[in-house]
Amino acid sequence: MDRTSVKIVVAGGFGTGKTTLVASVSEIPPLTTEEILTEASLGVDDTTGVEGKSTTTVALDFGRITISPDVVLYLFGTPGQDRFWFMWDELAQGAVGAIVLVDTRRLDTSFPAVDYFERRGIPFVTAVNRFFGECDYTEDEIRGALELDSRVPLVWCDARDKESSKLALITLVRHAMARLKVKA
Amino acid sequence: MSFETWDGDDESAAGRFVPLYVLVNGRTSPRDSTLDLATQVVALPVDTRRLEPEYLEIVRRCAGWISVAEIGAYLRLPLAITKVMVDVLVEQGYLAVGTPAQQKIIDTHVLDQVIAGLERL
Ligand SMILES: Nc1nc2c(ncn2[C@@H]2O[C@H](COP(=O)(O)OP(=O)(O)OP(=O)(O)O)[C@@H](O)[C@H]2O)c(=O)[nH]1
Ligand SMILES: [Mg+2]
Repeated sequence: MDRTSVKIVVAGGFGTGKTTLVASVSEIPPLTTEEILTEASLGVDDTTGVEGKSTTTVALDFGRITISPDVVLYLFGTPGQDRFWFMWDELAQGAVGAIVLVDTRRLDTSFPAVDYFERRGIPFVTAVNRFFGECDYTEDEIRGALELDSRVPLVWCDARDKESSKLALITLVRHAMARLKVKA
Repeated sequence: MSFETWDGDDESAAGRFVPLYVLVNGRTSPRDSTLDLATQVVALPVDTRRLEPEYLEIVRRCAGWISVAEIGAYLRLPLAITKVMVDVLVEQGYLAVGTPAQQKIIDTHVLDQVIAGLERL
């Protein structure tokens, strides 16, 4: 009796279509889970309560795809705000890799995500979400703006479209496998 | 349900938001838990009569394999709390744990299955 979990992270800047992509392929409507955060201002030995300190919650949404009776794939969207990096660490831990969604109207908002996965050597693909049909940039221009390594795959996508989201996911898993083979 | 809390600061600078560390049954989270959000658990066929209601509710959700993240979402529990409670149940023999997502395991067989599964969608 066993069950294997496989995890993929869906990252990108605020409003780039992460939840939309998860929803388009998930077998359940995306679920939301929350983490309570407190503003860190005291040392490690402090064991007092949280009175008088500001707390907030960060929401994560995720979907699932049953691959086989033994394997389930979970897709986790990162929180939109960059300041919650520790959540990214938790999500990236043990993940096959990440899809970084890019909105061509605001290329810069996805740069922190690209930088994050690049620095940690986590396999990722960029998926350029064409919100309103045609895109003003060429692939080279986008690669330049995001300082993408030439080996990082770039796909064009419509996060609302299941086939398009599937393609982005398959491209990522193939890319991650190719990297494993190079390392092995 | 009430939880004692302590503010386990990491190496982070003042003013940055960090997870609220939780104390449940004398255990802190999430540091001493190896459970991942995506790890799945399932209820074992054992007597649950001595469980407190909050724990029983989790075990009931685990009639079939379910991930830590799903338990948290369905029961509206913050992740740190869900993790420790699930961990307590695992330790006490109420739940079995599946194989976590793990980057280190170079299991291309599983990834082949994932690709085939995605293509079938
Ligand atoms: N036209 C168009 N709209 C899209 C597309 N993808 C997402 N949207 C819309 O853009 C908005 C933002 O999409 P979300 O999926 O919520 O983006 P997100 O990245 O999850 O946003 P945050 O979680 O807030 O960072 C929504 O209103 C979507 O319906 C797309 O490919 N085309
Ligand atoms: Mg979202």
